[in-house]
Amino acid sequence: MKFDIMLTGVGGEGVLTTQVMIARAANIEGHYVRGVQLHGLAQRGGVIPTFVRFGSEKEVSSPGIMQANADLVLAFERLEAVRATYYARKEKTIFVINDYPIVPIYANVFNVPYPSMSEIIKRIRPFAKKIYVFNASHLGKEKFGSAVFGNTILVGAAVGAGLLPLKEDNLREAIKVTSPREVEKNIKAFELGLELGKQKHPHDK
Amino acid sequence: MKMDVLEEPGRKVVLLGNEAIVRGALEAGVGFVAAYPGTPSSEVPMTFSMIAKRVGFYFEYSSNEKVAFEAATGAAWSGVRSIVSQKQFGLNVAADSILPVAYTGVRAGLVVMVADDPYGWSSAQSEQDTRYYARMFKMPMIEPSNPQECLDYTRLAFDISEEFQVPVFLRTTTKVSHSIGTVSLGEMKKPKIWGEFQKDPDKYYNIRPHLQVLHDRLNKKLDQIEERYGLELNKVFPGEEKIGIITSGVSFEYAKEALLELGLSPPIAKISLTHPISKSFVSDFIKDKETILVLEELEPILEDFVKQVSKEVNPNLIVHGKDVLPRLGEYNLETVIPALEKIFGKKFYIDFNYHREKVDSSWRDLPPRKPVLCPGCPHRSTFYAVKKVFGDEAIYAGDIGCYILGVYEPINMQDFVISMGAGVGISHGVASVSDQDVVAFVGDSTFFHAAMPALVNYKFNDGKAPLVIVLDNAITAMTGHQPHPGSGFTGTGERVEPVKIEDVVKAFGAEVRVSSSFSQKQLIQALQELKAIKGPKVLISRGECRLLTRRKFRAKGIAMPIFQISQEECTKCGICTNDFACPAIIKTMEHGEEPIYSINPDICTGCAVCMQICPEGAIHIVKGEG
Repeated sequence: MKFDIMLTGVGGEGVLTTQVMIARAANIEGHYVRGVQLHGLAQRGGVIPTFVRFGSEKEVSSPGIMQANADLVLAFERLEAVRATYYARKEKTIFVINDYPIVPIYANVFNVPYPSMSEIIKRIRPFAKKIYVFNASHLGKEKFGSAVFGNTILVGAAVGAGLLPLKEDNLREAIKVTSPREVEKNIKAFELGLELGKQKHPHDK
Repeated sequence: MKMDVLEEPGRKVVLLGNEAIVRGALEAGVGFVAAYPGTPSSEVPMTFSMIAKRVGFYFEYSSNEKVAFEAATGAAWSGVRSIVSQKQFGLNVAADSILPVAYTGVRAGLVVMVADDPYGWSSAQSEQDTRYYARMFKMPMIEPSNPQECLDYTRLAFDISEEFQVPVFLRTTTKVSHSIGTVSLGEMKKPKIWGEFQKDPDKYYNIRPHLQVLHDRLNKKLDQIEERYGLELNKVFPGEEKIGIITSGVSFEYAKEALLELGLSPPIAKISLTHPISKSFVSDFIKDKETILVLEELEPILEDFVKQVSKEVNPNLIVHGKDVLPRLGEYNLETVIPALEKIFGKKFYIDFNYHREKVDSSWRDLPPRKPVLCPGCPHRSTFYAVKKVFGDEAIYAGDIGCYILGVYEPINMQDFVISMGAGVGISHGVASVSDQDVVAFVGDSTFFHAAMPALVNYKFNDGKAPLVIVLDNAITAMTGHQPHPGSGFTGTGERVEPVKIEDVVKAFGAEVRVSSSFSQKQLIQALQELKAIKGPKVLISRGECRLLTRRKFRAKGIAMPIFQISQEECTKCGICTNDFACPAIIKTMEHGEEPIYSINPDICTGCAVCMQICPEGAIHIVKGEG
């Protein structure tokens, strides 16, 4: 068995912490874990393509996932979901997208419009088996005081909707040892995500 | 966050390659650690710094990599196991001291960890293949493929270093250092942190004629290491084909998975001791093969070795490598699979090129997201003021640090970036032969690291000097906020007297001004004054890295000031988004044709510079939560 996740977002959003959280949960579950974390320049407001892979040691060895082979794309910023199609294909990949825009300065500097959510869905559809959209960052801000909690909400939603095959308890455990601060809020954010995920239907009708 | 690197022996945890190196050193009883941070090696010293006091070994951030290596050498000569870590270019800085130490050798184990960066993820200026250094330095080099091997081989590197009394290279690449993986932990050894230097002319006297004695001794050590570890460190995974794969480092991880995906099971020889490469190991593997494919990133070092050995043991052997794979960038499954398709005549079910074209066409017209200076970054403000005074025509020398991001639009103020400190040095040459205005930007940590010799050279040669701008944000920001001599605290958090850059600069005979990075008025006044002065001149633009400021505010529970754009006063000139281009300022078109300019309070860090650059005075401070 192997399960390939691509996490994408913008530097400073907490994508790396979320990756560590998922990796630890997979480790608690007894999987062999691999993945990539890029540091340095990539963090400075740039795109952060980050991977977590888990499964049997025999099947999982490359740190990065193969082009067109992600099982799950977790997009913490909606525009970056489009660029994640490099790792996606129609028969296989499920997209879970945080409907949260971080407009790159280059949209203004080069005068290129930042796409709407419907435009983003249209572009992803040829590469996605299913697309789920959550308002995670807005909820994070509304309920817990910061958009950063959107990350944990989004992971909870993916688990709740049965899209991320790890046990809820193992994720709770991983959140406890990984949250840089405010463990309780993160756990609550995760529970909120789980509930949202359980009720949620894919965006594509 | 929990520190998995200190977990109990027998536990399985997920570690970053760089963290696994730290654990390996702890299991080897390391007593002395010194480093200058550099991506992709930075998490090695960062992890050491966090646990040094708790575990009880010595740790320091040194002022540069050469200094770090020298300190570690002294400790290893005095009987304390030592490690240094650096990025590939850091090794270039340290090179001058490393080569002679290979000759003299060491007493306690000395491991030299170095991380290469094919593809240049870290904003690297070349795709250096550091494996060549091992040959030139005549030092053993070990290459792990994954975090588990990072741990195991670091521990082993200490043993080899001590057994043969020679410093040992541990070489990684970005996708080894920055990959995570499941790791089984072993027993940690209590660090030995105290020793004694013993005079030993036979060991340390490296002037001719004794130099040749040392050289001869080093040659013999390498032969012995090849014989003793060539078979232990390198491994053969048997297979069915007459085609064999030879590989090392992260390429081994790609090879394994790519072959599984293609349903192939040829024999694989994994070479982990990449210097000296074991001739008998390679001979044995290739002697009965028809074809060999060598998988290695960057230069064809293993490939050339295999070709050379095959002439003796298997002259008809066909050796593939760089003929089917690139000699630049890094590999991944999408580069390795097509090479295997060619060699094995097998078709993979995904056509990567077709997929790539399809993907490209769906992105092409989307706004790019290049890395940018953070919201509230002091460098953005400095760049903005410098451009106001010096315009677009001045020559802007760049350097290594966050300010390298000034290379992108709309700043465009890093006309060249070569190496640590080189902007200050190259500017001297440009200013000496032309009438152009030259401005050299250098960071505070980079100033201490490598810019001081170039600056003192201005005064020494009484030549025409460029304006040097030291961007002093109080920390080594790019690599993750490590302290430097001017920060006022050490790598383990001890308070120390900071070295003042203005004192150094004055001692070097330069005219100096100090300005707040967050005051356009102060910056512009200082720049105008300095512009009129001939001879060495330095502006210190001082403003704390805003990420640190935000962290301090959060820790104290204080809200940061937040700014807002008054819609009544805004004339929609676009200066704040298009010229100043702070990521916190956004332009939306949602209500008809007229754009609306606003500040995103989630990411604004309250630096107040946008308020100063707005020509209409339309930006105001408001109370808000941080």
